[in-house]
Amino acid sequence: MKLLGRLFWAAVACAAAFCLGGIALNRGEHINSIWLVLAAACTYAIGYRFYGRFIAARVMTLNDQRATPAERLRNGHDFEPTNKWIVFGHHFAAIAGPGPLVGPVLAAQFGYLPGTLWIIIGAVVGGAVQDFVILFASMRRDGKSLGQMAREEIGKVGGFIALVTVLLIMIILLAVVGLVVVNALKGSPWGTFTIAATMPIALFMGLYLRYWRPGKVLECSAIGFVLVMASIFTGQAVGQSPDLAPVFTLSAMALAVGIILYGFLASSLPVWLLLAPRDYLSTFVKLGVVLMLGIGILFVRPELQLPAFTRFVDGNGPIFAGKVFPFCFITIACGAVSGFHSLISSGTTPKMIARESHAWPVGYGSMLLESFVAIMAMIAACVLQPGVYFAVNSPAGVVGATPAAAVATISAWGFPVTVTDMTSLARDVGETTLFSRTGGAPSLALGMAHIFARSGGGQAVIGFWYHFAIMFEALFILTIIDAGTRVGRFMLQDLLGHISKPLGRTSWMPGVIATSALVVGGWGYFLIQGVRDPLGGINSLWPLFGISNQLLASIALCVATTILLKMHGAKFMWITCVPLVWLVSATFTAAWQKIFSPIPALGFLAQADGLEAALRAGKAANAAAAQTLIFNARLDAVVCGVFMVLVAVVLIDSVRVWAGILNGSREAQVNEAPFVLTQLRAEEL
Amino acid sequence: MSGLRRFGKLALALLRELADENAYQRYLERHGRQASGEEWRLFSEERLRAKYARAKCC
Repeated sequence: MKLLGRLFWAAVACAAAFCLGGIALNRGEHINSIWLVLAAACTYAIGYRFYGRFIAARVMTLNDQRATPAERLRNGHDFEPTNKWIVFGHHFAAIAGPGPLVGPVLAAQFGYLPGTLWIIIGAVVGGAVQDFVILFASMRRDGKSLGQMAREEIGKVGGFIALVTVLLIMIILLAVVGLVVVNALKGSPWGTFTIAATMPIALFMGLYLRYWRPGKVLECSAIGFVLVMASIFTGQAVGQSPDLAPVFTLSAMALAVGIILYGFLASSLPVWLLLAPRDYLSTFVKLGVVLMLGIGILFVRPELQLPAFTRFVDGNGPIFAGKVFPFCFITIACGAVSGFHSLISSGTTPKMIARESHAWPVGYGSMLLESFVAIMAMIAACVLQPGVYFAVNSPAGVVGATPAAAVATISAWGFPVTVTDMTSLARDVGETTLFSRTGGAPSLALGMAHIFARSGGGQAVIGFWYHFAIMFEALFILTIIDAGTRVGRFMLQDLLGHISKPLGRTSWMPGVIATSALVVGGWGYFLIQGVRDPLGGINSLWPLFGISNQLLASIALCVATTILLKMHGAKFMWITCVPLVWLVSATFTAAWQKIFSPIPALGFLAQADGLEAALRAGKAANAAAAQTLIFNARLDAVVCGVFMVLVAVVLIDSVRVWAGILNGSREAQVNEAPFVLTQLRAEEL
Repeated sequence: MSGLRRFGKLALALLRELADENAYQRYLERHGRQASGEEWRLFSEERLRAKYARAKCC
């Protein structure tokens, strides 16, 4: 490296250390969000340039002379050598879902520091490494999936468990994101109208693409975007109309039932009619909003109002119970380390990589960008006044059902807020109330609206920006719900096909309806459970989702470690073992506490026992509801336990394989596709 | 200026890739066919079936 280059990277490293030190050591005064932006950007730059490059050059020995599956198996469809920045954008759009936006907002209950450090360090050392290694492994194995690699590298048990784990995660994921939408739209005619309008708009787009202007996806999406923007303006009028507002003012239960019915219908309709057009639209809106938020933060440079740490690091948080370790590390999964990414890294992306070296920016770089999205979400949450943040995110079961009770509780925690503040804020954004709008989406929308409004337009446009942000979140969450239900149905049919052949056929209508109903029934049950939960649902469902996602990451890291071990012996095992050990420690601790903690707000079994005791003592107001809550708490404990057992089996199986390789009793056979010299010319890319 | 133009072209190419328009173009070239409603329906059915059989990220 030339002297100038060395000086440059030394300056970046110093800036990273200075900014990280600044945000870590600052106490008692507000810091500017630009500190977080710089700390993240400089750390990512160092991680990408040195750690990512080290893995690419020394561990993977990426070789541009080696033809990738995109070239060897080119079919113009899945396998197609593609420009690296296009693959980068494609991969980023695929990995970035609601997780990196919602997780940091919820974890902000500990203060900005724990979540921010985990997002930055977790991504550089864990998440990006996982995505990169799995992408590389899949690329060297003709684009094989994580399940196939687990089966080949670890054993049949690993492959089967990976499939079952993904299916279970899907169920929990769909329930929790459904709950996020329900909590964002309950009692909000403006928001409900806007989201309801996206359905006829998507149907119109589907017909437009199919019959009127076939193949003109960008043109159609632009029209769809204009219509969605018009629906936000119309939604404001609907919210103010004495006749129409009651029609679109729905309770949480009504919305949940609506989403369940929608999920069933949408997953059974032809994809071109509803799912695909809305997916195109939501992808473009997602990328656009992320870009806008980044520019908005740089332009406004807001101060963070939340402190570095709050009192809730002790485990008594109102949003979810549990101490900062391990719960911060499972609440923020996407944005730091996300097991789901391993499915994308072993899905479409490896089939598009033209040169092996492109896996570095695509695999490692995309994850850093997603991590940056999580930092922006953390900033958006932390620019709110702490009292407002807790009033929006705390369930009524914790802070009290009336505004007066809620502000009294929250102010007593040391985060002053008044009923007048909350009423005025709700009026500004066109809502009747913002109390106990749990789930993260409303507070994220408030933070984003605050940043966008300060970028131009001021308070006069804050209502528009709030509903724009809600539309953006709900749009791609609903896309995840119908796409996820469909994928869950395919997985279930794949599993059931071993028992009954017709059930495995995706063209057999009774099988399609039965399996769709089973999948929708699965996540719908957890969604209703979340709606009925007096602690708001997020307290139980989000940790379950975080635990399952991180356990999937543990499976991915087991596969990655096995591959590195087979390639190099023990020399580079630490690269994937370090994040694996951390994830296993955090996730198993969290799962154990969620099942067995004696604190009712935290432990599922303690919660069930407490309710049962109240029922026996005749203190339960509604015996039937209490019975349901008891059953649900025990069900959650069982689900959590099943996750732990499944991943423990994969871990034990992996350790057995590793021990065999290390002591020489097992052959370290690398299952890569044979080397073929590339014929691609630079100008083809 | 040329850098800006190159960036614009790349951004448009990314949007076209995300919109499956590039994949449609490749499909037509590979099969030596012209764009038409019928071709788009054939292409998109196969493309979307594969696309929505895969897990969507959280």
